Amino acid sequence: MASTVIGAGITVEGEITTDEDVVVAGTVRGKLSAKESVTIEHGATVEADVSGGSLVVAGSLTGNVTANERVDLQSGARVIGNVKAARVTIADGAQFKGNVDMDV
Amino acid sequence: MAQARTTSTSRTGDAGGARIGSGARVRGRIHGDGDLVVEGQVEGDLAIRGELTIAEGASVACESIEAQSVVVAGALEGDVAASGTVRLVAGSRVRGNLKGSAVSIEEGARFSGRLDCEFDLPAELGGASPRGEARGRAAQRR
Repeated sequence: MASTVIGAGITVEGEITTDEDVVVAGTVRGKLSAKESVTIEHGATVEADVSGGSLVVAGSLTGNVTANERVDLQSGARVIGNVKAARVTIADGAQFKGNVDMDV
Repeated sequence: MAQARTTSTSRTGDAGGARIGSGARVRGRIHGDGDLVVEGQVEGDLAIRGELTIAEGASVACESIEAQSVVVAGALEGDVAASGTVRLVAGSRVRGNLKGSAVSIEEGARFSGRLDCEFDLPAELGGASPRGEARGRAAQRR
């Protein structure tokens, strides 16, 4: 179970910083940085620069993304922004507009 | 893989509630429907339609909190307005004004601020029209 959860009805406007993992099912505007995994669920809206250990996106994300490990854009994801990670997957059915940087 | 994790955590999300974990820090405003549990640090206003729990070890610093009910076991600095109950649990430290339909302060809780409960104060306590009364008295002295 994730240590920080932003539920479907909840909106955070500002900056979230954590050394644990984060699951977003609601809305986050601002900045989101975690040391561990970040999950943006289907139906979630994130308008923020996101950094984390690994990132899974199934919802809507507008902003630049940096992950130490990997980024997975799942089917149904809608991502506008640049993605920087050593490993990136974009599933069939994911929408993506931006640059990918896999330089380590 | 990561996917299994996503589905298992989505149930928490479906409930609409939120949790700010003990290692997390939020600077900004949090609002919306559902319960919120704060175990970490929050600097910013909270406005939720649900129960707010500030857990032991958590700290919240803000101007104002609005929620249906509030339970504080950690540290809170800021004004609270609840449509329901406000509970300060033993070990909590609260500085600010509390407003709610009922307010309880357990033994061992530290609190400094004003209590404002949802009922009309008798006129002699200044609840009805404090301003008008003060003016009236000042006039009488002259």
